Amino acid sequence: MADYIPPVQSKFGQMIDVIVLLALAIGALYMPLWLGLAGSAHTSNVPDNPTWESLGQNATMVEKWNQLGYTEAAEAAELITARFDYSFSILSLLVMIVVVVGYYAIILRFSEKEYRDVISEKFGDR
Amino acid sequence: MDIWNIIEYAAWGLSAIFGLYIIFDWIKVDSTYSDEELMSSREGELEAMTEDHTL
Amino acid sequence: MSETDITSKTMDGMGPGGTKIGLARVLGPAHVWGLGVGIVLVGEYMGWNFSVGKGGAYAALLACWFAGILYSCVAMIDSEVTSTVAAAGGQYTQAKHIVGPLMAFNVGLYLVFAYTMLEAANAITFGFLIDTVAGMTGHEGLDERPFIILAIMFLAWLNYRGVLATLTFSLIITAFAFVSIIVLFLSTTVFLGESPLRHTELMTDLPYGWLGVLAAMHFGLWYYLGIEGTCQAAEEVRSPARSLPFGTLAGIMTLLIAASLTWYVCVGLMPWEYLGQAGVPLFDAARMTGSMGLMVLLGIGTMFATLASANGCINDASRAWFAMGRDHYLPDWFGAVHPRFQTPYRAIIFLVPIALIFALGAPLDQVITFSILSGLLEYTFMPLNVILFRRKWPLNTIKRGYEHPFHPIPAIVLLTLCGITFFAVFLGYGSQLVAMLSFYIVVSLWFHFWRYRFVRRAAQFTMPWPRPQGY
Repeated sequence: MADYIPPVQSKFGQMIDVIVLLALAIGALYMPLWLGLAGSAHTSNVPDNPTWESLGQNATMVEKWNQLGYTEAAEAAELITARFDYSFSILSLLVMIVVVVGYYAIILRFSEKEYRDVISEKFGDR
Repeated sequence: MDIWNIIEYAAWGLSAIFGLYIIFDWIKVDSTYSDEELMSSREGELEAMTEDHTL
Repeated sequence: MSETDITSKTMDGMGPGGTKIGLARVLGPAHVWGLGVGIVLVGEYMGWNFSVGKGGAYAALLACWFAGILYSCVAMIDSEVTSTVAAAGGQYTQAKHIVGPLMAFNVGLYLVFAYTMLEAANAITFGFLIDTVAGMTGHEGLDERPFIILAIMFLAWLNYRGVLATLTFSLIITAFAFVSIIVLFLSTTVFLGESPLRHTELMTDLPYGWLGVLAAMHFGLWYYLGIEGTCQAAEEVRSPARSLPFGTLAGIMTLLIAASLTWYVCVGLMPWEYLGQAGVPLFDAARMTGSMGLMVLLGIGTMFATLASANGCINDASRAWFAMGRDHYLPDWFGAVHPRFQTPYRAIIFLVPIALIFALGAPLDQVITFSILSGLLEYTFMPLNVILFRRKWPLNTIKRGYEHPFHPIPAIVLLTLCGITFFAVFLGYGSQLVAMLSFYIVVSLWFHFWRYRFVRRAAQFTMPWPRPQGY
């Protein structure tokens, strides 16, 4: 098999390639923000007139909260009652699984094809 | 204007000095040496010299 | 072509012949340890505690151990492959030889983005710390930007000037930060007279049940994220076949100790609801002991940890970028080495503005999530990598500097834990996961159908190995 001779890329072309790559990366970083999908869902259920007892805090915990600068139960109530929302739909889980598995499948498939070229050029055809 | 303002300016200044050093040295190197020489590094140098991969 | 002469003076990319200026081979095993632990240790000073928020104190401990198993597998697998594939670019170069070019391109990008984002996050934290110190001395409204920029510029300069000084610096400040954790642990358990730790009273049941334990795995990675960066030094270590396995495995042991101690001290001093959202948990822990000395020590420790981490990140990201440039995966302009300092200087310079954009422009949690996800994709690649490595070059075909035991159990364990972690990230950060995977899919298509045409085929396979089995 004849060795593959790559074309020479112009300086301008090289710059374009780097810019494309960076634009895509920055796009991926900001896309969830623009779509308002970033961050995880929180719920917080602060009772009226919270006391340390109603928040379920024992004497040691209260002492530690005081030491951290939270002298009133009401100040810490928001923190103590905050909970993540872990509910999810089976559909979105399936979508995620398909995307992850599909991603690796695409890469491994294309890589294998390219790898066979590399090996046959390096070690010669069988 | 307290000590922290001065530290802020110092930080700006030092950043500029480090940045300028890098840029000047970069320009100097790129104009002194040919690209061919600068980009002559090849992978696997050590392998070829010190490791024998056949058992 | 199978009789390729690897010492040929004329063939490109086949050995020492062409190299006039190469990277400096000056590092020892201690530097490898400093690089690996240095990048990661900042995770003990901040970030790991979000796993407490996601599942409670016990969930964080379980996540710490499961992530510890995950990373022990990573370290073993990595040690074997990298002690054999000793070249800059680390996992990128491994992928190129073992899996294939497109995988290698993706791995190279995981590395560059994981490290550059982590560098940005460290710089942001460094600025925040300076602001906190200024606040404690009564100065309000400090401009954090000059300090963020200074951290990045100084470390870039250090990296530019040579790898030995860079990693010696990392080694010293990492050792300091590690010793600080030990001192905090010993002080709270032994030296302070009556111990301030109150585990019995502060520990609660799992607030989210077992689902919380799964969710905690997301930030459980932070106890160790980046230890695999030791591989990037491969081309600059004096004897990679010995130093890399030693430095990496010593590193993961150090981190297992540091992570357990950190968890133990912190949950004994703070209610989990506070700890789960704290910005600088170890510093808070020192504050809770009421000892001024410990506070100063852990404050400096936090600062050193962020600098060591950013330093290692610049080192690793630039090596990966450089290696990809050298192979024409990226413009070959980046494949240049500084004639005097022997560093990949153009890659270092190029990544400075990128890091600045992320550090000054993007929100911290986005940056960190992108970094964690890139890391996770990389860990998922590793078991595939080692399975193919053993299949294409079984143990008796080439010499390995280190052989990891119990193959393929570590690979299977790692793959399973990665699957669990994908699910943990999905709980709460699913949209980021999909956004980022879309990015890698688009970039992969771009590489396969456009960029790969500029890559020479055989020349990128540089290891003097026999033909892989089955090809």
